[in-house]
Amino acid sequence: MFEERSIRIAAWAACSTLALFTVLPFVWIVATAFKTANEINMWPPTFLPHAPTMENFHQLLHETPFLRYIFNSLLIAVGSTASIMLTSSLGGFVFAKYRFPLRGPLFMMILASAIIPLEAYMVPLYIMVFKVHMLNTYAALIFPLMIMTFGVFFMRQVIMSIPDDLLEAARIDGASELWIYLRIVVYLSNSGLMAIGVFAFTQAWANFIWPLVVVSSGDMYTTELGLAEYQRAFFTEYGPIAAGAVISIVPMLIVFALLRRHIMQGIATSGMKG
Amino acid sequence: MSGATQHLAAAPFARRSQLRRSWAQMRRNHIGFVVCALGPILALFVLIRIYPILETIRLSFYNYNITQRRNPFVGLSNYIRLFDDDPFRTALLNTIGFSVLSVIVTLALALTIAILLRSIEHTAATFELLFYIPVVIPWVPAAVIWKWIYDPAYGALNYVLSGFGVARLGWLQEPTLILYAIVLVSVWKLVGYFIVIYGVGLRSIPEELLEAASLDGATAWQKVVHIVLPLMRPIILFTVVTCTIICFNVFAPVYVLTASSQGAPAYDFKVVVGEIYQNGFVFYHMGYAGAQCVVVLLFVMSLLAVQFLAFREK
Repeated sequence: MFEERSIRIAAWAACSTLALFTVLPFVWIVATAFKTANEINMWPPTFLPHAPTMENFHQLLHETPFLRYIFNSLLIAVGSTASIMLTSSLGGFVFAKYRFPLRGPLFMMILASAIIPLEAYMVPLYIMVFKVHMLNTYAALIFPLMIMTFGVFFMRQVIMSIPDDLLEAARIDGASELWIYLRIVVYLSNSGLMAIGVFAFTQAWANFIWPLVVVSSGDMYTTELGLAEYQRAFFTEYGPIAAGAVISIVPMLIVFALLRRHIMQGIATSGMKG
Repeated sequence: MSGATQHLAAAPFARRSQLRRSWAQMRRNHIGFVVCALGPILALFVLIRIYPILETIRLSFYNYNITQRRNPFVGLSNYIRLFDDDPFRTALLNTIGFSVLSVIVTLALALTIAILLRSIEHTAATFELLFYIPVVIPWVPAAVIWKWIYDPAYGALNYVLSGFGVARLGWLQEPTLILYAIVLVSVWKLVGYFIVIYGVGLRSIPEELLEAASLDGATAWQKVVHIVLPLMRPIILFTVVTCTIICFNVFAPVYVLTASSQGAPAYDFKVVVGEIYQNGFVFYHMGYAGAQCVVVLLFVMSLLAVQFLAFREK
């Protein structure tokens, strides 16, 4: 876009500085997680651990059922992701490829509610869960994360680009609508579906306020909730806290590293259409 | 209308064939599949979105306490109470101040970097990846990372600043500093996402347009102001709305970074969602919390309206 040498140099300098700003805090917490308690409380601080130790992870797992938290988070994230992938692609398919009464108004209703944050309507959700005596259950934790309105919108955009002729040809060959969905639509929209899956997984994993509200017993804590409560109770023990932070970040980084292409493509095709 | 019914009554054959025709049309449109596929999704959607949103509004007119049997209608008194509620007013002002600052810094930085990245195109992808790392990190560990950096005694930030001769500061303990401390966390967390979004928008600007401007002797600055920014306007508007809503709902980092019941030494920085949490789920004043939720709803809706009107105007 700009070929001037001075701008290129400025761009390099600015981007390198920002990259240090975005990456260093992360490296810093990983380094801290492997330091001994003595080294953590040293002044001046050391950057890389002198004698790397797993002690902090041991202490964290000893003092809290953190493995249970991880399991809870994984279960919720997988359940939510599966539900969102199914409802988004099926809903997107129907809105993209069928004509039916009230299609426009229904779609507008879904779209309009997409931007309203969970925080704004979590009180009645809590009352519903309370009334059916489901507090502290996996069902309650997954419940508000079973659909993603943005996902329906996004999959509709993706599936609209599949040619109608293809679906019509399958119908002429006697394929049922369900077969068309499972064999043609899911297959051809799979990159978009992966993007929604990643999005759903990270959203469920990172969710904080809903578990905070709906869970009170320690063994139903998620990783995020467990970490937040642990660091409140033991705010001086930075070693195990850092270890917990690393544990809660790693799955996200793995998902991101494996599916980077889908994520970036997802943002590229939809980000500004919200 | 009446003419049509008369006509149908008079001609049963025509009516039957019309019914058959509309039935055939419905079959052609696979109405059965549509109902089976969309029905459960819409039911779920109503249950976990539409109903809770409407119920929030209804609750705000009641003195609702989940532990009580009687929950009387109280009209607007929850809303009247909002005006006299000092913690809520503080929370609202804090949240607005935080959002304004955070949105401006995040988006200005993201746009500048995204534009600069376009002049070093071959390394842009690597940089975008590095900028995206904090986006992937959930809010709780992100706040934990920064709590450690802000630590008054052993924190890295005070250490770095001591190199410039600045005395140790209590970033999370000083009421004036904690706002900036939380803004910095949110800029760190969000900037990478908006750089990627702006990057997509910038790549869609036709290269010939900029080349033509160069041939006419336009400077880089002129190209940005007269070509890039006007073309990016809808995307910028979209990001302002998205980023404002994210910031207005700030809660997890505040929960981690501020004082706790156990007495972690930090200033009690109040935000709107924190007040909703307190009133709704700590004191169980759910009607009152509902009124606070309606404030958030109205805020989000007005932002959407602004965006909608701005797009229509084009």
